Amino acid sequence: MKNIFSHPEKSIAAKLIIAIGLLMIVVSFIFWYATLKKQEEDIMSIALKYGDSFVQFTKRSTRHSMLIYERDETQRVLENLSTPEGVHRVRIYDHSGTVLFCSRGSTVGKPVDSASIACQGCHRNPGTSPVLLREPKTWNVYKDEKGNTAIKLIGTIPNEPDCYTASCHVHRQEEQTLGFIEADLSLALLDEALFKQGLALTAYVIIFVLAVSLFLGIILYKIVSRPVYELTDAMDHVANGDLGYSVPIKSSDEIGMLAKAFNAMIKDIKAARDQREQWTQTLEVEISKKTDEIRKTHANLVQTEKLASLGRMAAGVAHEINNPLTGVVTFAHLLKKRFPAESDESQDLDIIIEQSERCSKIIKNLLTFARATPTEKGKVSINDVLRRTIFMVQNQEKFHHIKFNVTLEDSQFVIVGDSSQFQQIFLNMFINAADAMGGRGNITVGTRTIVEEKKPYVEIEFTDEGTGIKKEDMLKLFEPFFTTKPVGKGTGLGLSVSHGIVKHFGGNIKVKSEIGKGTSFFVRLPLPSSDAKKSHE
Amino acid sequence: MNKILVIDDEAIVRTSCQRTLVPEGYDVRLATSGQEGLDLMAKESFSLVLLDLKMPDMDGIEVLNRIKTGWPGTKVVMVTGYSTVDTAVQALRLGAYNFIEKPFTPDTLIAAVREVFYGKNQD
Repeated sequence: MKNIFSHPEKSIAAKLIIAIGLLMIVVSFIFWYATLKKQEEDIMSIALKYGDSFVQFTKRSTRHSMLIYERDETQRVLENLSTPEGVHRVRIYDHSGTVLFCSRGSTVGKPVDSASIACQGCHRNPGTSPVLLREPKTWNVYKDEKGNTAIKLIGTIPNEPDCYTASCHVHRQEEQTLGFIEADLSLALLDEALFKQGLALTAYVIIFVLAVSLFLGIILYKIVSRPVYELTDAMDHVANGDLGYSVPIKSSDEIGMLAKAFNAMIKDIKAARDQREQWTQTLEVEISKKTDEIRKTHANLVQTEKLASLGRMAAGVAHEINNPLTGVVTFAHLLKKRFPAESDESQDLDIIIEQSERCSKIIKNLLTFARATPTEKGKVSINDVLRRTIFMVQNQEKFHHIKFNVTLEDSQFVIVGDSSQFQQIFLNMFINAADAMGGRGNITVGTRTIVEEKKPYVEIEFTDEGTGIKKEDMLKLFEPFFTTKPVGKGTGLGLSVSHGIVKHFGGNIKVKSEIGKGTSFFVRLPLPSSDAKKSHE
Repeated sequence: MNKILVIDDEAIVRTSCQRTLVPEGYDVRLATSGQEGLDLMAKESFSLVLLDLKMPDMDGIEVLNRIKTGWPGTKVVMVTGYSTVDTAVQALRLGAYNFIEKPFTPDTLIAAVREVFYGKNQD
């Protein structure tokens, strides 16, 4: 409500109220003015009637004394008629304008003022030859010396038979008018009444205007301003992003419809925004997913490229080393033949031969890593290969103090490939596990079917109770020549070769490790879809 | 007749073959390249050629082809590094008798040569 008055230029209600108020003030003023005028006229006509009556009354009161020509009597009657409040003065003068009687007595014998209505009411120009007006004016209104309204009335005293037949013979029969009665009556009381009425009327009009304005104001506030403010408020909320806001609908008029339409619009906008936000979120998730994928792919590419170039280099180097190695081996053998079998020299040469063979093995590993080795492809059962490998390692000295916990899923997990390659992977895993545990502890081996990105895989788990892998080593785990084993113990190619083979089959290796507790490797190889079904049957 | 020709660009391999096989009673000749080997073959006849697969100017496969065309009776044993086993298998298809992998021990070499001269079960 306060807005209507504090900022009328901003309020429809205020503008309407001002417009209607102004209209009402104008109409009321016209009404007020017309009413007052009418009342004044009515009062005046009443006053005139009373005035006429008074003049007639004066005429009748003085008739007798006039007929008998009792001048003192006439003068006395006039003085009696004159009262201080109502009747200022009553005079009688002859038709030539000389005052014969006056209620105040002061003007007797004096001529009437020629500018007075007493002369001009009938005569056009009193100074010149008298021309009678067709419609004589018998009264006029003026302000008396106190400033009050007063009325002057003129009544004629016509000639009557009693007048010209009277014994006094004052009047002749030809005379039409014998004289005039002039009465000055005060209208001060009427003035007061009119003033009071005017005051009351003004008060009524003001009260009416105010009441109507107030009523209009309240009505407009209720049906226009408040709903519009609520709408504006709602729009502010919406503009500030609060789309949960709705306008209360209180009426079914145009503003109610507007509010309804507004609410519907906000609902639509909210739905659209929610959807957009959802899209944005999905998009963000998608983008971050894709970014991760790209990053991974990039990392893989870099890694692959690195490995490929390293592989090429390694292959070249390995190939070249084979030639001198042939010489070393051959000549060591030749030299050995010159010494007795049990001699120190022979034993030293054995070391040379042995170490050369180790070199040869390293080179073979390198070359396996560098290029796909020729494979004898066939149907391979992962569980069988695993069992065979476990059997093989259990008979080796390195594994004598290691217990194998084997839980293989009841399935063959048939993959088309080279069993020796799988054996190589498993062997690497077991050797690493045994090294990590210092040759003592449990190795847990298990196979199971898993589904990754809707494709079936066989997951082969190798868990040891070893030292675990340091976080900083995790990233380098599959890099060729990376080893944490003492010099001479590992080539750093085992995991990298395994990784290469697994990759070749479209699988992957996952690692979980906790320092001091152990490490789990999960080798995942994709299964042909139909075999996966069979394995579940 | 037990004449053997060793074609290898690496001197140490040639020497190794020579030092291994001569005490076994073989007549060993050496050639440093494919072309030199073929030239030598044009002059003398050999029962066996130990042929390196990877050589700079003329590679083992081409030399093998020429030998098989020019001297069909001469047996060829390819000497190869591990990485060229694929090629060695290809060589067998082209008519090589056998292949041995580098680095080889004298025993391996002697066994392979004996097999050529005396058959598989000969020890």
